[in-house]
Amino acid sequence: MRIEIDNLSYSYSAGQKGLEVKALKNVSLTIEEGDFYGIIGHTGSGKSTLIQHINGLIKIGKNSGSIRVGEFDLTDKKCDFNKLRSLVGMVFQYPEYQLFSETVFLDVAFGLKNFFPDLKEEEIEERVKTAIELVGLDYEKVKNKSPFELSGGQKRRVAIAGTIVSKPEILVLDEPAAGLDPIGKRDFLKLLKNLHKGFVKTIVIVSHDMDLVAEHCNRACVMNHGEVFAEGAPKDIFSRKNELLELGLDLPLTAYITDKLKENGIEAPNDFTEEDFIRAITKWYEGEKR
Amino acid sequence: MSILTAENVSFSYDKKTDALSGVSFSVEKGEYVSIIGHNGSGKSTLARLFNGLIKPDKGEITVCGYSSLDKKNLFEIRKRIGVVFQNPDNQLVASIVEDDVAFGPENLGIPRKEIGERIEFALKAVGMENYRFSSPSRLSGGQKQRIAIAGVLALKPQIIVLDESTSMLDPKGRKEITGIVRKLNEEEKTTVISVTHFMEETVFADKIIVLNDGKVFMQGTPSEIFSQRETLKKIGLEVPYSTFLAEKLKEKGVPNKGEILTPEALAEAICELK
Repeated sequence: MRIEIDNLSYSYSAGQKGLEVKALKNVSLTIEEGDFYGIIGHTGSGKSTLIQHINGLIKIGKNSGSIRVGEFDLTDKKCDFNKLRSLVGMVFQYPEYQLFSETVFLDVAFGLKNFFPDLKEEEIEERVKTAIELVGLDYEKVKNKSPFELSGGQKRRVAIAGTIVSKPEILVLDEPAAGLDPIGKRDFLKLLKNLHKGFVKTIVIVSHDMDLVAEHCNRACVMNHGEVFAEGAPKDIFSRKNELLELGLDLPLTAYITDKLKENGIEAPNDFTEEDFIRAITKWYEGEKR
Repeated sequence: MSILTAENVSFSYDKKTDALSGVSFSVEKGEYVSIIGHNGSGKSTLARLFNGLIKPDKGEITVCGYSSLDKKNLFEIRKRIGVVFQNPDNQLVASIVEDDVAFGPENLGIPRKEIGERIEFALKAVGMENYRFSSPSRLSGGQKQRIAIAGVLALKPQIIVLDESTSMLDPKGRKEITGIVRKLNEEEKTTVISVTHFMEETVFADKIIVLNDGKVFMQGTPSEIFSQRETLKKIGLEVPYSTFLAEKLKEKGVPNKGEILTPEALAEAICELK
């Protein structure tokens, strides 16, 4: 399913004098099926408002643009939002705080039962088991535990399981790595990569972490004051150093160093992933030695 | 005399498993100390023990000579140590910024005139003097956290404890807060104890204390700690990304001498090869 956002605008407190805040202004974006897509921008730039539109949590106002997600036309009154939401999984910031059931099993099954009330018990169990195993937890060990007995990282995995259990094609995550320790973060990204390879077709992440976007995303956009400031491959976006700094955004570390080197007359072009950065510097150095 | 000491401290929430066991270290006046460790290593428990929100089951925490074991000392301790928590929404209490900043000093019974001066000083220190009459609920996360810090500064504490205070902020907000705290440490000689997940924030520290499973795993200067990548990895921690890249380059035959802890240092080290 491709996500096509066309000329989308949104205001909070619309029509209330002095309180209206324009959160999105004429946003047009296309996210292709199969993308690992990054949405970056500083706090208040409209990132979260944008993603809440993708599965219809925020309804599109009159004359405020349109969104199509695969076959779904979100401006259509007859749009089946229930079905859409089962296909576009949404994981909010600090999802571990949204667990509430008595057991991990019930928590993961909750959304599934709501989306598909006719599912048989055996099928529910099968799908919950698959989802829990996909996020790297031991089904037998955790299924009867209270979610509150788990560690922060495990809770976050349970929250993801509760989303992927309905077999979404698109997974949208808001700041997925925030608050995790370094290895937790690395493991978690590995998990997302694995999901992306087999289970979920498209992943959209909202993140402040430029290193993460440079390393994992094939496409990205930069939001600023509710508008799309830049869109494209991370490599191209992060080449626009001065503009990004003006917006108050950081560069990935690799891009920062590549730029510093350039200032000092060292050319080592790379796509700002760890591997390519190391390759480019090594290549430059070997040339220098000769 | 050390400004804060932990002596053989143990603590358990459920009386079954220890959140901290046998933790000992000391912090000197004017030091900037970072505490790192993976999720669940006991870092935040330690922060709560510092100002007596919880008491050690065994051992003792002493702040400026006052032990937190004695209930009568808690007031004295809390005058001297201010804690900034992770989520500013949990820490702000008033509906106007200046009232919020005044909350602490009012509780200490400080004269009205002086409170006014302290509000001014504290808001200025965090660069929020123009927001004195604003409502905290209308501020951004970074601004709220600055107000929370101002509230702590208004107590004129000798020690500031940051318990993952930047983890919910964007990179810009994080830099601002780290900058303010470093400045306080350098200019006002305030002792800083910073509990964090961001290795990049620890490279300026005088000392890093590494916690693992409720115990002090190691302590030392940033270069001492981060020269042990493999050891850190075993306990769920990583070296700063710059240090990591420097090591990767070395493995590929690109030399870089000294301890690389910051992006600047790495860029410089590569330029030297030209």
